[in-house]
Amino acid sequence: MAREENIVQELNSKFSFLEGKIRIQRQRRIFLEVELAHFKELFEYALKNMKFSLLSAMTGLDEGVNLGCIYHLASDDGVTLNIKATFPKENPQIQTITGYFPAAEIYERELIDLFGIEVQGLGPGNRYPLTDDWPKDEFPLRKDWKAKGGQDA
Amino acid sequence: MAGIKEMVNWARIKSPWILHFNTGACNACDIEIVASLTPVYDIERFGIQLKGTPRHADILVCSGPVTRQVEDRLVRIYEQMLHPKFVVAVGTCACSGGIFNGCYNVRSGIDKVIPVSAYIPGCPASPKAIIDGVVKLLESLKEENKGKIKLPITIK
Amino acid sequence: MHNSEEFKIPIGPQHPSLKEPVSFSVALKGEKIMGVGIRLGYNHRGIEKACEERTYIQDIYLVERTCGICSHSHATCFAQGVEDIAGIEVPIRARYLRTLVGELERIHSHLLWLGVAGHEIGFDTLLMYSWRDREVVMDILAMLTGNRVNYGINTLGGVRRDINAKQIKEVLKAVDALEERTKYYIEIASQETTVIKRLSGVGVLSKEDAVRLGAVGPTARASGVERDIRRDDPYAAYAEIKFDVITDNHNDVYGRTVVRLKELMECYKIIRQVLSNLPEGPVSVKVPRKIPAGETLSRYEAPRGEDVHYIKANGTEKPERVKIRAPTLANIQAVKRMLEDRYLADMPIVIAAIDPCFSCTDRLISLERLESKKKEIMPWVNLHAYSIEWHRKRGVDFTKLNKKWLRYFKS
Repeated sequence: MAREENIVQELNSKFSFLEGKIRIQRQRRIFLEVELAHFKELFEYALKNMKFSLLSAMTGLDEGVNLGCIYHLASDDGVTLNIKATFPKENPQIQTITGYFPAAEIYERELIDLFGIEVQGLGPGNRYPLTDDWPKDEFPLRKDWKAKGGQDA
Repeated sequence: MAGIKEMVNWARIKSPWILHFNTGACNACDIEIVASLTPVYDIERFGIQLKGTPRHADILVCSGPVTRQVEDRLVRIYEQMLHPKFVVAVGTCACSGGIFNGCYNVRSGIDKVIPVSAYIPGCPASPKAIIDGVVKLLESLKEENKGKIKLPITIK
Repeated sequence: MHNSEEFKIPIGPQHPSLKEPVSFSVALKGEKIMGVGIRLGYNHRGIEKACEERTYIQDIYLVERTCGICSHSHATCFAQGVEDIAGIEVPIRARYLRTLVGELERIHSHLLWLGVAGHEIGFDTLLMYSWRDREVVMDILAMLTGNRVNYGINTLGGVRRDINAKQIKEVLKAVDALEERTKYYIEIASQETTVIKRLSGVGVLSKEDAVRLGAVGPTARASGVERDIRRDDPYAAYAEIKFDVITDNHNDVYGRTVVRLKELMECYKIIRQVLSNLPEGPVSVKVPRKIPAGETLSRYEAPRGEDVHYIKANGTEKPERVKIRAPTLANIQAVKRMLEDRYLADMPIVIAAIDPCFSCTDRLISLERLESKKKEIMPWVNLHAYSIEWHRKRGVDFTKLNKKWLRYFKS
């Protein structure tokens, strides 16, 4: 666990706002939470200084009052850094990370369609994965959304 | 006139052309359909050929639970086929939605959208079951079996 | 109740591709591709939502059917994640058996790919050969797990079936036979000039682009990017097994072919190790129905690349959140880059080369000819025929090759 502990130590010393917010879940799995305001500097640091070069996935979450997005980054030696950013459901706005990872576009479109998260900085493009005629205010993966009877219609 | 009708029917039974369409399945049934074309199962010995366009096909072989995206296209393909036409639902998802029954974005079964002539359940339907289903369908078209074998056919 | 008219999407000459979520809109200048837009969502069945409404055990079967070709990958990835959260130690024998089925799945998937790639370039004999060999693997899988596809061998805490000495012998016999056949395919790939000519220089993806665009699996490894979850982030029994991560520097479809063929040889190596070192012991442990609160990320090297599951548990018997990121989604951005500035005739094989896990049949291409501003639709089957004809005019002709190999095939 030396490698994971070194990573946690480095992040803690660099970013005081991470105090108490990082945990090592197991070998090669580090989870941390960050406020949206601090997300960008942490993300850039992880990419440029800590060699997390692969964006494995982006997971949208509905946590009741807040929505969240976990950015799953991976390094070449198999360590994953899972950064969770949360933001209020009333105003779910995040910045695109396609500047760092062009491939993130499809993951961000998924967040828009399924959770109703607004991604600033993403240009026009096709919806994914829902149809164009899917109602604009229905977000299937939110907790309060239930497949209505006749949803097959 | 009767002679031509018989000949057309004979051609249809002896060498039916099928169109394969996936309505949002996990691909397992589709791979099994393609596998039935390969040497070990070799559906071509029944004269069955896979064609690319609905205008040439007698039988529409469908897999998948019908997602919203695909529903209109499925109907369009069915309408483009010329009479008489038959639809074979391959796999449990195509028959009833299968494990995806009730999921949003899914219609839960091909017969909710177009009429089905033969149901071949299985997850996935094995190539043997697929061949069984198609051959039984063809048997039911033969003149001597008219009225004896009722559609739709269900393979057990 | 709605009628179908309420859901009509305007089909106009402007946007015919809106109806087809799996469609490519290609901007063409002459025969060169200037830009590609890809529309997905075709197979969206709402699996993640459905997972939240079912128990963990039910979810294994649901998640397995995300994809019919790499079903074991998804099921194992999911089971591993849940076991991780619950703090369950899976017995070593079960981990070895999961590895065995995983490698058998890789074999069947790569052979399937080989046939599909052969079909896309017009080398149909290769399709018949490789799928006939694939049936050997399907029979072995049916013998071990009870089903040809969607094996259902996983359960929470281990596997559902054990293997006996007789079955081990059968597997080893099959592996020996397949190894001979694979050497034969490697020979074709490395010596048949028609094959080499057709696949080289097509679908080029540089190493920098592969890293930047997040490519995974054989697509990335063929561009020299050494990423393999089995080695970098070991799971199941891989930490105890010796194998090589195959990379190649061709950066093109030929490289991807070579990588997959050599990976087949590694599969045989791994299977032999698994079976000769198979530890004794139980094949599963009991897992509580309610999984304690927690979260984890589970990663698995599926035949197509990195498969990622994020699972969050909340102390009940149903998960709070399940996120599945299948490998093809990670590779799809790379496809756009590979097609830029290339010929339309190369589209079928370039797309086939990432081994996409969406339906092979209904892909629609909408073309916009930039000079004339004309738009047209090309069904996949027409593009396929166009591609074969285009290359035939330039000296890459598989008709003679098909006849030549068919002679051996019939004997």
